[in-house]
Formats: sequence, structure tokens, C-alpha cells
Amino acid sequence: MNLINKNMQKIKIKKYINNSNVSRFRFWIQLLSFFLFVYGGYFFIEIGSRLPIFSCPYVEGSPGGCYLIGVQHELHSTWATIFSPRGISILKSLGIFLIFFLFLNKAWCGFVCPLGTLQDWITRLRKMLGFSFVRYGEMSFKRLKSIKYILLFLLILIPLAIKNSFFGLPFLPEGMHTPFCQICPARIILPLFTGDTSQIFVDFTDPATIAMTSLGLIIAALFLVGSFVKKRFFCFFCPMSALQFLFSKIGILRMVKDGDKCTRCGNCSRVCDIGITEIADDVLSKNIVKDDCMMCFKCVEACPEEDALKVKVVNFDIFSATEEGFFKRYGETDDPEHLEKHGLLNSNKEKDE
Amino acid sequence: MSNITDTDRYNRLKKTSTIHYNMEVNQVLSEVIDDFPDKLTGMEYFYNKFRPLEEGKSLYPKDKKLIASMCIHVPIEIIYALDATPVRICSGAYSADAAGSDFLPAKICPMVKSTLGAIYLDMLPGNANPDLVINPTTCDQKKKIGEMEEEIGKEFYVLEVPPSKDSEEARQYWQRSVKKMVKKLEKVTGNRLRRRKLKKSIKMVSMAQAEFRRFMRLRKNAPVIFGKDAQLITNAYFFDDIDNWTINLKILNDELEERIKQEVLVVGPRAPRVLLTGSPSIFPNMRTPILVEKLGGIVVYEEFCSSSRMLSDTVAVDEWFLYDMVPAVADRYLKPSTCPNFTPNDDRIRKILLAMKDYKVDGVVYQTFTGCQLYDMESRKIGQELEKAGYPVLNVELDYNPKDSGQLTTRLEAFMESIKDNKRKK
Repeated sequence: MNLINKNMQKIKIKKYINNSNVSRFRFWIQLLSFFLFVYGGYFFIEIGSRLPIFSCPYVEGSPGGCYLIGVQHELHSTWATIFSPRGISILKSLGIFLIFFLFLNKAWCGFVCPLGTLQDWITRLRKMLGFSFVRYGEMSFKRLKSIKYILLFLLILIPLAIKNSFFGLPFLPEGMHTPFCQICPARIILPLFTGDTSQIFVDFTDPATIAMTSLGLIIAALFLVGSFVKKRFFCFFCPMSALQFLFSKIGILRMVKDGDKCTRCGNCSRVCDIGITEIADDVLSKNIVKDDCMMCFKCVEACPEEDALKVKVVNFDIFSATEEGFFKRYGETDDPEHLEKHGLLNSNKEKDE
Repeated sequence: MSNITDTDRYNRLKKTSTIHYNMEVNQVLSEVIDDFPDKLTGMEYFYNKFRPLEEGKSLYPKDKKLIASMCIHVPIEIIYALDATPVRICSGAYSADAAGSDFLPAKICPMVKSTLGAIYLDMLPGNANPDLVINPTTCDQKKKIGEMEEEIGKEFYVLEVPPSKDSEEARQYWQRSVKKMVKKLEKVTGNRLRRRKLKKSIKMVSMAQAEFRRFMRLRKNAPVIFGKDAQLITNAYFFDDIDNWTINLKILNDELEERIKQEVLVVGPRAPRVLLTGSPSIFPNMRTPILVEKLGGIVVYEEFCSSSRMLSDTVAVDEWFLYDMVPAVADRYLKPSTCPNFTPNDDRIRKILLAMKDYKVDGVVYQTFTGCQLYDMESRKIGQELEKAGYPVLNVELDYNPKDSGQLTTRLEAFMESIKDNKRKK
């Protein structure tokens, strides 16, 4: 008897979660994370410096550091150092990064990254003003999506090429150290939230720094304009996203698709902030986390087919697409006249009483 | 002089066809209602929707424009949002077939003939007199009807549908096509498409879909309702007031739920569970489901554009503004559609295979109207896939003429018997 009760409870909880509005939950998590990763340092919070998000150390209140800055520093060494016992620290920090990363997988981008959150807020602003958004066409999407891999490759290569010569080529100038940070919009924009405008500058030390920091300013401006017209504009080019995707398959948090249940209606790709189309069109892959995915789970919310899309922790389902959930989120009217016609106004009142 | 005789002829044709139509409707209704002993109280509403109306009476609000559509690819959310009433006028009446034949070559699908005849003779459901007929360019036969608008005496609007649905180009084309339709409808109705109105109408259709999906879930769980009744419910959606339809389906669903609890089922556990697909059965052309069920089977799923296909696919809007709502509505009519007019159409095979499993189907009856190339051509591939998965399939070709029912009955009889045999062996 107890077992049945427990099972009933389980079903009830499951139903509650599947009917819930994950996007609203995500909004609050993002808000909390933003405060944590921009102001946490002021409260003596220390999270580590190998984080899989743009927790930027240039922000005064940052409680930790982004792994990309670490990796650029570590690779700013000669081959001899890298292959000496000191090189082990490179592996060690990769390990720490992975431990962090594997817990949330790409949901770090969708739920935690302060730069991602900022873009979502800019989107909210655009919506409030009633402007339409822009989407990439199929061809440009395919062409542009490789940029993040190129950036990742460069941020690894440039520090190495400062200290080492490749194929007898001359060393790159020292001014290009931590090249990605120099062009990263997080370095310029996030400090603004602590009232720090000191990152808006061009470093006149040498030609290399002039070029890199000017590029940084241009990219920061593009970031603001871009994310106003295009949802999650920057994430599409983010080298962190590229790095994460290399390890996404072994993440603990997973998102799976049952292609047999999919009608390819495209609801999921319609609501996708990035504009991933495979989520709707691919009916063969089970693991449906693509390289641009940020695991915001809006697609699961928008899917009306029972269990076609599922969020899992290892092998436990934690959030599934359901018919009921879909209609709760997308189909229910809030028009009182309409509710009354369907006799829903009264039944809701009765429930309240 | 000749003009007078022409109108005379028309009037005579209209009179006789209307008499035949009323006879046909009453006969089919009595078959659907009286030949089956068990009656659901909740079905009464839907049966009554099909009873012939007196001349001069109309089912539709008089102060609103009436927009007819010839296919499910017309976004009704937009019609509702513009304060107009949509009605789908695909016809299943044999009595209108003859009038349509005068305009068309012999080897044309009876549904197209009948629809054309029904428009010409004003024999549309609920005495509809549409202000505009929207004709989507889906199948070749249907789309060419619009060219006869002058002869038929109704204004047609061609809604361009792409021949494929998978590519980005097709989607763009379709979305533009829908936007163009919005402009046309704004002109016809004299209303502007407004954000709040469209949102409301999306939700209104969504509520109907939610109720329909609940209905299908109940059918999946237990054989509580015959397919012939299910077919009438979805057919009523063609022309019924959508809110009333939803409310009455809800009442019926509650009744079905109660019946499942009390285990009052319409057939025994051994009855063959049949899936119907192919050319759509539209009232009063109900021969296939009625026959299947008279022979002891039960239709548990219809993969027809007159049933599940019309009501299953949903609209998901990310930003509730016109710039996102109109494309979202457009998408729902293109991307999940399993109309054979699209190529490739693998989604249809996947949908049927999923339904086979979900609804525990024993066999498929694939119906093709004489002259319907598209469904005929797809029957081969679908038959192969189903047989590969171990399901029996019966292909039947039929016309609207009820006289050639004999062969259909014999073939269905044999098919049902073989399914029953298989079930017994298990």
C-alpha cells in the first residue's frame, strides 16, 4: 500500500515538473547566477578559476575565473615547459574544467553564463519594444557556425606561437598574449555592472595591443547591437561553446530525442534561440545536443508529442515533453470571455474555494 | 432565350440534386446511428450537425464574412482572427458528383468532382454561401478547379503551397504565401490583423486540439467509441462553431472516460483494430468505416486529412507578436503535414508506423479514390513498409457511387476474417 502511495506521489511530482514552465525557472536561476558571478567576490565567495562560463576575472566582483583565460596563460609557454612535469598542471586544470562542465553539460550556457544571461535580457528589452528578431538563413548558419572552432583553435595556437616558432616562422608579438580575452566582449561589458569602465580603452603599448584591444571594442559594440536583433547572437561564435561541445557526449545532464515519436512539426526549432534546425529534422540521433545548443530546454517545452524529447540526468528522466505540459504552456487562453464560454472560469474559481 | 433555359436547367439540377443529397444524408445518418445499438449521449450533438437544414437557414453568423477552404492547408487561425468564419467545403456527397462531372474530365477524383458540384449548386454544409473560396495548390486536380471560378460563380483565391516541405526555401515561400493571404483576407473582411485577436484565435484552435488529443488518448486506451462516430466528430469541425465543438467534445470525452471506468466498451477484445488511411472519408461518404465496423472490427485511428491530420499539429509561438505569430501559424500547416502532395513524404510512413504501435492496430485499410494519383502512388511504398513491419494491408479503390459497394464488402470481409484468424492463433 505504501509502495502504491509512493508511486502515486512520484507520478504526481513528475506531472508537476512536466507541466511546469522551465523558462520561468531558468529566468530566476539566471538572475541568481548573474549576481553570483558578477558580485559574488564582494561576499568572499570563491569558486575556482577553471569555470566553463564567462566568469570574467576582469570583473572586480568575480568569484572565479573562466577556463579560457587559464588555458591561454598555460599555453603561453615553450614546448619544453609544456612537456616537462610542469605541463601536468595543464592537464590538471583541464580536469577541473571537465568536472565542473560535466555536471551541467551545456546548460552552463543556458542557465549560468552571465554573458548569456545578459543577451537574454537584451532580448527581453527588444520584446518590450516590440521589434522583430533576425534569423540566419540556412546557408549563413552553416557557414558561420565554424567561426567558434576557428576562435578556439586560434586561442590555443596564438599563445603557443608567442613562445614557440612554428615551421621556422617568427614568434608572434608578446602583445597578443591571452588573445581571446583581448577581443572578448565579457571583459569589456561585464565590468560595467560593477561601475568599472576601465576596460573601455585601447592599449597603446605596441601595435599588437592596439590592434587587439581596438578589435575588442568593435566586438563589444557588435555584441550589443547583435544581441538586440538576434537572440543569443554571441553564443553562436563562442569558443567556450566549441570547447564544451568536444566533451558534451560524456555530460551527466543529457537531452535525448525519440525520433519515432517526432512529427517534425518544427515547434522546437521555431522557439530555439539559436535557431538549430536539426532538433526538429533529425529523427535518427538519440543524443540531440548540438554544438550550438545551450540546453535551455525551450524545445522540450514546445514539443507536444509525449516523450519525444527528454532531459535526463544519466538515465533518469527529469523533464519530458508531454501533451498536457505543452497545452499548459502554449495553449491555455487567459481571455476571460473565452474562459467563461468554456466553463473554465467557474471551475477555476471552484478549485480556489 | 437560351439564358432562360440555362437557368431553368440549373434550377432543375439544383432541385433534384438537393433532393438526392437530403436522401443520401438521411440514409447515411440512419446507417451510422440506427444500425449500431449502443448510443453515446454525447454524440447526439454531432449527429444533429449533419441533419439537412431547411432552405434559407444558415449555420453561420450573418454579420461575419464566410471564408471557405478547400483543404486543410488554409490557416484557420488567421480567418478567425480577422473576425470571419472559416468553413471547409471538401465534399463527400455522391449527389453533387454528377454536377461537378460536367466541368471535368472523366478520370477525376470524386471528391474534387463532388466539391466542385457542391459549390456550383450551393449545396455546401450548413447552407454556406462563402464570400471567398481559398484554394490551396496542393493536388493538381483541386488546384485547377479555381480556374473555373467564373463558370461556377464564386470568387477563388489561390493559396500557393510549395511542392516540398523539407527545405528552407519551401518554408520561406510558404510563409510569404500565407502573409499574402493575410493581405487578401484583410481586404475581403475589411479588418486588420491584430496581435491580440490572433493570439486569441491561436489559443482557441489550441483548445480544440487539446480536446481532440484527449479524445484520441481515450480511443487509444480502450475501444469506447466507433470510428464512424469519430469521423463525424472531425467532419463536424469542418463547419461547426469551434468553441461549441470543443465544449461538446469535452462533454463526450467525459462520458467516454466514465465508460472506460465502468468498462462499457463497444467491441470485445478480439475485434480487429483497424487504421484507415489514404483518400479522406468525408461525410456522407462513410462507406469504409461503416463497413469495417459492421463486419465486427473497429477503426481506432484515421490518418486522414479529414481527421487526425487536421487537428493534431500545434502552434508554438515564441514571441507573441504578429512577426512571430503569423510564421508560427504558417509552420503548423506545412512542416508536420503528411499530405502526399509533398515530396518526399517519409513523415507519413513514420506517423503511420507510430500509430500502429501506439494504437495496437491489427491491420490497415488504405483507401484510394478512383483518379487520385497521389494517394494511389504512395500506397505502394506505405504498403511495403507496413508489410516489412509485419502488418496486413488492404488496398481498396472506391468511387462515391454507392452502387459498387459489393466488391468492397467482399474484400473487406475477407480481410477482417484473416485478421480475426491471426488474432485467434495468437
